[in-house]
Amino acid sequence: MSLEIENLVMRFGGVVAVNDVSLNVKPGMIRGLIGPNGSGKTTIFNVVSGYYKPTSGKVSFDGKVISGLPAHQITALGFARTFQNMRLFKTMTVLDNVLVAMGHHCKTNLWQAMLNPVAVQREDKMLTEKALHLLSLFQIADYARERATSLPYGHQRRVEMARALATDPKIVLFDEPAAGLNEKETEWLSETLLKIRDSGITIFLVEHDMKLVMGICDAVSVLDYGKKIAEGDTKTVSTDPVVIEAYLGKEEDL
Amino acid sequence: MDSMNILSIFIQTLVGGIGIGSLYALVALGYSMIYRSMGLVNFAHGSIYMIGTYFGIIWYRGMVMGLQVPYPIAFVIGVLLNAILGLILERIFRPLANLDLMLMLLGTIGLGYVLDNLAVIIWGAEGFAVNSPLPNEPIVIGGVALLPQMLLLITGSALLMVGLNVFLAKAKIGKAMRAAAQDRETASAMGIPVNTTNALVFAIGAGLAAAAGILAAPIVYVNPAMSAAVGLKGFAAFILGGAGSIPGAIVGGLVFGILEAISAGFISSAYTKGIAFVVMILVLMVKPAGIVGEVTVDKV
Ligand SMILES: Nc1ncnc2c1ncn2[C@@H]1O[C@H](COP(=O)(O)OP(=O)(O)OP(=O)(O)O)[C@@H](O)[C@H]1O
Ligand SMILES: [Mg+2]
Repeated sequence: MSLEIENLVMRFGGVVAVNDVSLNVKPGMIRGLIGPNGSGKTTIFNVVSGYYKPTSGKVSFDGKVISGLPAHQITALGFARTFQNMRLFKTMTVLDNVLVAMGHHCKTNLWQAMLNPVAVQREDKMLTEKALHLLSLFQIADYARERATSLPYGHQRRVEMARALATDPKIVLFDEPAAGLNEKETEWLSETLLKIRDSGITIFLVEHDMKLVMGICDAVSVLDYGKKIAEGDTKTVSTDPVVIEAYLGKEEDL
Repeated sequence: MDSMNILSIFIQTLVGGIGIGSLYALVALGYSMIYRSMGLVNFAHGSIYMIGTYFGIIWYRGMVMGLQVPYPIAFVIGVLLNAILGLILERIFRPLANLDLMLMLLGTIGLGYVLDNLAVIIWGAEGFAVNSPLPNEPIVIGGVALLPQMLLLITGSALLMVGLNVFLAKAKIGKAMRAAAQDRETASAMGIPVNTTNALVFAIGAGLAAAAGILAAPIVYVNPAMSAAVGLKGFAAFILGGAGSIPGAIVGGLVFGILEAISAGFISSAYTKGIAFVVMILVLMVKPAGIVGEVTVDKV
């Protein structure tokens, strides 16, 4: 069940956003992906989740090539993600945001929906309970009936995470989940990510918060200008002079 | 006695308005659902309604190989054929949804013309009146005379609207549609097959339009030109109720039908269209989001 990225290249016109990157995410691990702004992290996520077809190279999951498949099929294979710029469904309640992500687990089909409303009702009830349970894990069940975008920022991030897990994924791609969170919230996030991993879900994490990354990742890959410049456990990477140079060159602290 | 008479005329006019309003509402629902899920204003929808009417009525009138098909069966055939047409049109429209608004509008208008011309080529520009499968004698209830076909149109439309609402509320498709309309990419990341959802929306929209057309055919006159007349009013109802809102399309259609009937009955039928549109513009000046104003689509 491992995710393999092989010689991935993603070009936008003249911009080479991802330049010949290979990496893997083994089952049950937290793989960190770090790098300065514009180094291609989100682009890799976008290719893996099916938004872009790579210019060359391939992505496979569990031995099956997934690059080129439509996004909803990749989700059905066990992928979920959150977004750097948070993309909740604005006019929906917190609960509906989560329910929408459970759609493809519905057993009742179109005909049953019309011919057997009782079965549908039973299933709706079951899914709602499941969604509420998920929300309670993220301590936001009290907000279930509120419009998602009316919640405070930190809680909206939790809704996004709950929604990602609602698809029942094998692997989740988190794009900067700590952005905009205060210290306490970040601590909570770090515990939650570990809990998610311990429940058997693999995590692929893009994050600028180095304390968080170094605290929870099992392995880290580093990008700079679309190229992978380093890889290894947190200790090796954080002391790698090439990595320090890449960050210092852009005046950011590691 | 005289006031009693005015009251019954008024009720009769009102019921007629509700009947025609149901027709507009079902057509407006098609605009609304497509707009809601694809952000596309489908100006070909009036033509889809017209074709759908023919798809049912040609069987009922024995225009296909002389086969005389009973009205209820012709109704089902027409609705199904038009739903299939909807599926095909969605495939044609799919690339349009990513274009800018101007090209999108032109594309749908052009397709509408193609459908209208096809109808003229296949069935002729000349229209025909359709006999009601029900008795032509009005049913008189408390001094109010109602055509059985009008009652069929009203009850049939009401059932379809209730059915659609239950379907959208209960079935996963309703939420999926809303999600796809708001953010196509995120919706697909949540496992929603956006193209399939859109195809279904097109099929349902076209099916409803055919149902409306076949139910109303014995009351109105059937000809290819009805695409423009009813298409425009359905569009106006869709705007009046609140673009993209499902209840809005229903309310908008009914309000439009009733206004039209009242202005025809009590003022002059010459002003019907004018009065209804003036009211529409006034409503939009006061409430730009429409009667059931709800912002469902961020784009546009
Ligand atoms: N759709 C696109 N079209 C054109 N260029 C793009 C597109 N997506 C990304 N890029 C470019 O690719 C490069 C990598 O962007 P990407 O968003 O992957 O960086 P990132 O590592 O996620 O940065 P950040 O830390 O700021 O989120 C940037 O130069 C960006 O401008
Ligand atoms: Mg990014």
